[in-house]
Amino acid sequence: MHDVSLFVPCAVDLFLPEIAESTVTLLRRAGVDPVYHKGQTCCGQPAFNNGYRKEAKRAAKHFIELFGDDEVVMSPSGSCACTIKFHYPELFQDEPEWFRRATELAARVYELTQYLVDVLKVDDFGAAFDGRVTFHESCHNLRKLGISAQPRKLIAGVKGAELVPMNQEEFCCGFGGTFAASYADISESMAQDKVENYLASGADVLLLSEPGCLLNIGGYLSRAHPHKKAMHLANFLTENMKEARS
Amino acid sequence: MKIRTEQFNELAAVEIDKARARPFLKMVPEFMYRIRNAGMPTLPDPPAAQKYAAAVRAEVVSRLPDLLEEFERNATANGAKVIWARDAKEANDFIVGLAKERGVKTVIKGKSMISEELGLNDAFKANGIEPWETDLGEFIAQQMDLPPFHIIAPAMNITVEEVRDCFMDKAGMKTPTVDPVELGYAARVFLRDKFHRAEMGVAGVNIAVAETGTVINVENEGNIRFSKSAPRILVSVMSMEKCIPTMQDAVDMLRVLIRNCTGQRISAYVSMESGPRKQDELDGPDELYIVILDNGRSQIYQDEGVREVLRCIRCAACVNICPVYRQIGGYAYGGAYSGPMGQTLMPLLFGLDRTKDLYRACTLCGACASVCPAGIDHPKLFLTYKAKDVQGDPQFRTGKRPAREAIAFKLWGMGVASSRLWNLGARLFRPFFNWNAHDGKVSSMPGPLGAWFRKRDLPKMAAKPFRDRWEDIKRRKP
Repeated sequence: MHDVSLFVPCAVDLFLPEIAESTVTLLRRAGVDPVYHKGQTCCGQPAFNNGYRKEAKRAAKHFIELFGDDEVVMSPSGSCACTIKFHYPELFQDEPEWFRRATELAARVYELTQYLVDVLKVDDFGAAFDGRVTFHESCHNLRKLGISAQPRKLIAGVKGAELVPMNQEEFCCGFGGTFAASYADISESMAQDKVENYLASGADVLLLSEPGCLLNIGGYLSRAHPHKKAMHLANFLTENMKEARS
Repeated sequence: MKIRTEQFNELAAVEIDKARARPFLKMVPEFMYRIRNAGMPTLPDPPAAQKYAAAVRAEVVSRLPDLLEEFERNATANGAKVIWARDAKEANDFIVGLAKERGVKTVIKGKSMISEELGLNDAFKANGIEPWETDLGEFIAQQMDLPPFHIIAPAMNITVEEVRDCFMDKAGMKTPTVDPVELGYAARVFLRDKFHRAEMGVAGVNIAVAETGTVINVENEGNIRFSKSAPRILVSVMSMEKCIPTMQDAVDMLRVLIRNCTGQRISAYVSMESGPRKQDELDGPDELYIVILDNGRSQIYQDEGVREVLRCIRCAACVNICPVYRQIGGYAYGGAYSGPMGQTLMPLLFGLDRTKDLYRACTLCGACASVCPAGIDHPKLFLTYKAKDVQGDPQFRTGKRPAREAIAFKLWGMGVASSRLWNLGARLFRPFFNWNAHDGKVSSMPGPLGAWFRKRDLPKMAAKPFRDRWEDIKRRKP
C-alpha cells in the first residue's frame, strides 16, 4: 500500500471539485486510500508563468513544507504536477537546501492517469459507456510528462466506448492560463479550432485529463454548442462505473 | 527594420479575421509540418539526428568567439574579406558604402532574414541603389511593400489574383493570368534582366564553416546561387551564431536543417563559397565580402541563462507547428523573424520593454521545443524573459509591469503561503464571481478577466470546495 497524498489544484478545489472526488473514487477502487492535506493552496504556476518568481517561491515553500514527507504526491492535473517537477527545482537554484528538498519531491510527483496505469497497474475500472469518445492530448501531459498511452488505456478499459481519432488532437486548445484573457482573440480562435475538430470527429464526448483545458474547451462548448460535452477522464470513468460512487 | 511589435494585438486581430475568410493560414503551416514529418523518417534514426544537431549547436554557442576567429582566419586565407559589424548601421554603412564606391546601381539579393533585420533594402534605396529580391515569394513581398509573412514562404498569404495585379503593375507582365507557371515565368523574365545588370549580389548565410572559411546557402529556386555567382561583387551577410566547427558538422547539420525545413533530404541547391573566384575557376565573384553581424548577439552570448537562443538554425519547424502562429501569421511579430524563433530572439535584440507581447502571447504548449533540431526550450526562455521583465534587467532593457498586476500577485503571494488567508480570500471572492451566475455557470464579468467571457463560460465557483467536502469523503471510506 502506497502512501498517496492528494494534490488538488486550486482551480479543481474551487471550480471543479467533482474531479477531485472522482480521483478519490478511482484511487480507492484501485486499492489506495489517499490522504489529503487541508493546508494546500496553489502550486504557484500562475505566478511563475507570469514572471513573479518571488511569489511563486512562497507558494513552492508552502507546498514543499506540506507535502515534503509524502511518499507519493498525485494530482489530477499534469500541468500543476509539472510546476512541482520542473519549476520548483528551477526556483531554488541559489538555495541548496530548498533545491535538495524540491528535487527530492519532484521525483515523487505523479499525474493521475500515469499513477493509475504505470504504478498501480490498473486500467479497467469496470466502467461502461455506449458511444463514441475522442481524446484531447493536453500539452504538458503529452510533451512534458510523456503521458498519452495511459489515458488511452483507461479509455480502452471502458466497455462499449469507441475511441475515435480527432484531427490535431495534440494541438493546444488555447488555454494557457492568463493567456486566455490577455490574448482573448487568439485564444478564442484556438478553442474554436479545437471544438470544430471535436465536432468533426463525430464523438459524443470529448475526454481530456487536464482541468485547464476543460475550463477552456468546456467553456467554449457551453456557449456555442451546449449539447456537446467535454469531460475530465476521472469524471467520465466514475460516472460510468456500475456501482455507486464510494 | 521597422519593428512593430508594439502593435502585436492589433495586427494579430486583423490576421485572425482574414484567416477565417481565407484558408491559407490553416493550410500552409500544416502542410509544411506534414512534409517535415514525412521527411524526418528518411533519416535512419530521426531522434538521434535531432539530438546530435542540438549537441553541435550547443557546442557552437559555448565557444562562439573561438570559432568566429577561426572562421575569419580561414575565410581571409581563402581571399575573402571579413567585416565585423557591431550593429545594423555599421553593416549597412559598409555594404552601401562599398556599393557606392564601386559605382553599383543594381543589387540582386537572395532571400535573407538578416538583411530584413538590417533594413538593408531601405538603406540601398536611400542611396539611389536598386535592390531586387530574387526569391519568388520575397520578390512578390518586396513589390507589394510587405514584410515576409513566413521565413520560408514569405508571400504565402498573398492571393494569386493579388500577385497577378502586382506583376501587371510592377513586373512588366503583359497579359493578365493566374496560371502559376505563367506568373513564375513572368517573374523569371523580369528578374533575368536584373541578374544580368547587377554589379553586386547580397545573400545571407545558412552555415559558416570555421575550419574551411566556407559560407553555405540552401535554397530551392537557384536564385541564391545566381546572386552569388553572377555579379562581380558578392556580399554574404551572416549573424554571428551561424558559425559551425567543421565541414563534417556542416554536412550533418544540412541533413537535419533541410528535413526540418521542407522535409526534403536535400534542397535543390546547396552552394558553398570558399573565397572569391580563383584564377582557374569558371565562375564566382571577383570579390567576396563576409559581413559578420553582432547587433546584440554578443550580449546574448554573455548571459548563460538565455544563450541557447543562439542555437537556432532558422529551419522554421517551430513556426509551422506553433498554434499561435497558425492563428495570426507572420505580420504581428513585427520583425523579420516570426513564430517562436522570433519570439525568443527579437526580445533580446530589441529590448524586453518593446517586445512584451512576443514572449507573453504564448500558451507554453511546448510544441516548438518538441520539434526544434537545435534543442531550444522556447517556453523556458519565455518564462525567463517574463521573470526578467518583472524583476527588472537593464541588460535587456526591461520596462515596468502594470501596477494592478503587480499588486494582484503581491496579494496572491501573501495568501498562497497561508491556507487561512487563502480560504478567506476564496470565500470573499465567491459572491462576486458568482454574482451573475445562471444554470451553474458564469457568462460575463467586469475587469481584467472579462475578455474570457466574450465567447466562453466558466463554471460558477463551487458552494462547497473540495477542501470542505473532504471530511465527508473521508467518512465514506470503503
